[in-house]
This record gives sequence, C-alpha cells and structure tokens, in this order.
Amino acid sequence: MTEETLEGWAPEIGHGVALEAVIERAFDYRGNVTVVKTDGAELEGYLFNRDRDVPAPFVQMFDRAGAGPIDIRYSEIRTIRFTGKDTAAGTSYAAWLRAKEAKKPASGA
Amino acid sequence: MSVPLSQMWAVASYVLKQRLRGNTRYPLVLMLEPLFRCNLACAGCGKIQYPAQILKKHLTVEQCLAAVEECGAPIVSIPGGEPLMYPDIGRLVKELVARKTYVYLCTNALLLKEKLDAGLFAPSTFLSFSVHMDGLREEHDEAVCRDGVYDEAVDAIREALRRGFRVTTNTTLFDGANPLRMREFFDAMMDLGVEGMMVSPGYSYAKAPDREHFLRRQRAHELFSTILERPKRRWKFNQSPLFLQFLMGKQDFECTPWGNPTYNMFGWQRPCYLLQEGYAKTFRELMTTTKWESYGHRSGNEKCRDCMVHCGYEPTAVNHTFASWRGFRDTVVATVSGRF
Repeated sequence: MTEETLEGWAPEIGHGVALEAVIERAFDYRGNVTVVKTDGAELEGYLFNRDRDVPAPFVQMFDRAGAGPIDIRYSEIRTIRFTGKDTAAGTSYAAWLRAKEAKKPASGA
Repeated sequence: MSVPLSQMWAVASYVLKQRLRGNTRYPLVLMLEPLFRCNLACAGCGKIQYPAQILKKHLTVEQCLAAVEECGAPIVSIPGGEPLMYPDIGRLVKELVARKTYVYLCTNALLLKEKLDAGLFAPSTFLSFSVHMDGLREEHDEAVCRDGVYDEAVDAIREALRRGFRVTTNTTLFDGANPLRMREFFDAMMDLGVEGMMVSPGYSYAKAPDREHFLRRQRAHELFSTILERPKRRWKFNQSPLFLQFLMGKQDFECTPWGNPTYNMFGWQRPCYLLQEGYAKTFRELMTTTKWESYGHRSGNEKCRDCMVHCGYEPTAVNHTFASWRGFRDTVVATVSGRF
C-alpha cells in the first residue's frame, strides 16, 4: 500500500493554507522539517511538539544535531518546509513480505 | 496469576492509599522510554520511525530517575526502542531496584545474553525481563520481520532463567492469529519456565508499516475467547485476570489513559503510550491539562474505538479489583480457579 507523503512539500502560507494547519502536519510528520522564521532565519530539525492551548502558542524542536528542545512561537514562524525524509513512509514490511515470498519454493512446477 | 506476593502487596497498598486519599486519577505503571533506537523493525511497531538525530539521542539516567520520582508509580516498564541498546541500562536498573521500584525491562532479547555475560544485571524480585514473543517460531519471526529471532530469544530466556532472573513474556496478537497455535505457544513458554505471560491485542499505530492486521473489537473478543476459554492450569499470566476477561468480552471496561503514563526525550506524552497528541513538560501538567474526556472507547474518538491494549485497560482492571467487593471477588475467584 503506497501512502501519500508530505516529503518535499513547501507550502506558502496565506494561499488557502493556514499556518496552524501546516504546523499540525509538521507535528505529525516523522521527518525533519525546516522552520522559516519571520526574520528570514531557518532552523532544520525534528518538530516533536506544539501547544496551541496557551496564550502564546509554540512549537518545540530538536535541531539536526539533536540539540534542544528549542521553543519557537507561532508568531515567529513564516512557514515550514518538509525537507527531510519521511521515515514513516518506508516499505520495510512490504520488503519483508516480498523477501519471504521470494524464499518460498515455486509451487505447481 | 504469577505475580510475586510482594509485588501484589506493593500495588494493592499503593492503590488503596490513592483511594483513601480520594485520588481518582493516579498512575500504576510508568512507561519509561530512554531511547527510540531498536535493532529490529517490526511490522506492527510505530515507535521507531524518526530521523537519525532522534534515534541517536537518549535520556540520561538522571532524567529517567527524575521522571520516576515525579510520577510515583510503583512499577516502571522500560520499553523503547530496545532498552538493552541504552548505554546506561545497567546503572538505570540498579538505581531503580535500589529504590524498590518494580522494573519490567521489555526486550526482544537479542542482546540479553551479551548483557548478562557482561554482568550488567543482578537477579532481584524487583527486576523482570519482559521478553517480546509474538508466538511460536514462524509467527514470531514474521511479526518481527527477521528469521532466527525466536530461537535467539528462547536461548536468552533459558540463560536468564538459569542465572536466577525473573522472566516474563509479552505477546501482541494481530488479526489472523491461530488460536490453536497460540495455545501451543503458551505451553511452550511454560515449558521454558517463564514466570508468567502477558498478552494484548496490538494497536493500529498511525506510523506502523503494517496497519492492516490489527484486531477490531468483536474479532478480538472472539479470538481471545477461543484462546482462553478453557485455560490450562499450568498457564500463568502476569496480568490481571479481569483484563483477560475483558479481552474475552466478559467485562465491559473503559480505558484509563493516565494509568500507564509515558515519558521519553520529548516529555510526558499525551494522552497515553499509544497516541502522540502532544507533550507536557511535567507529570503534573500532563495530569491537569490533558483533556481526558476526549479519550477512551466511549468518548467517540475514532483513534480509541477499537483499542483494547493493556496499557489502557489493565489499570482499569486493577482499579476494578479494589473499587468494589464484586471486583475483588471476581479477581480472587479467577486467580484461585485459574478460569477466566
């Protein structure tokens, strides 16, 4: 079963795409993302948390070197690009099944 | 039930203390995930799909101990990832045992013999290796997507038992499980000499490679009823008999998502071990700010609809035991008679 992945997605906020929705997708994404800040700075890493239910909503990340957690407010984010490999879109199970099938002796020969 | 009396007493006195204090929400088992790295990539697992820098990271022993202290649960389960890949696992377990915390080290056992040879662990009533075994050789190797794992795990179990360790097994059942083979598997584990077995249906993790073989509720009831209907006297389960009755459809329980809180490098996971809907910075924040009413079978939350996993329902079963004379009687009768 092939699943749609967000890998490579670079949404532009405001063109029918809300920042909050992109943050939700980034939170659910099992790969690194690049957070583009309103001042132009960029931070690449794994976005593991977000809190919308506080007065100043924020996301939390570990950067590419694993340093963190780094908190970034929603108000500081311009957009998020899905730059890293989607580790949940792998085919390890399908590959295992194929390998098992290949090992079985041919029947009906 | 095969749990040692001292452990039963520790849990019973803890639950009674909470009830006397009027606490309605309290943890029973802390799920402590020191790392996400694993040496297997099982089809049904949604725990290890992370970028490299996350897989390389792990909690410090001090972070782990602070979480144990903060949570206060009498039992700590250490899953992962594979906890035997955690570089400080020996020190962590030693510290927990010194605090008289009951530890279930959940492992696939591939590294167990090596770690035992290295003298990392000492036998203790407070330490049990909970070895992942999803069935007999064919079923287990298929579940973990690698040939030979069953045999390695069996060798490791034998070695741990020979050295005097407590060993239990934990088994996740998926759709298509063969009841007769499962009964043979229970016999095989008892023949090995494990202290007890834990069984649970799997959860359909959103990130798991295989999401097609998870059990829906009715199918789970049918399967567990067939497997457990006439249990052999020699089968020992390291879990509440009321939870097994729940799996068979004989008890109508609601989930207790705060019963097995989860701590890992991201913080305190909301709302439970299976769902990742966010993280709290402290255990108190987790307990006080999570919208608990949004979770559980009766909440209408689709993610909880078919879930019957032990991390949510075993705490309910334990609470039920101490909530009424009927619950206590049901537990005693099932324990003494060996019938579910």
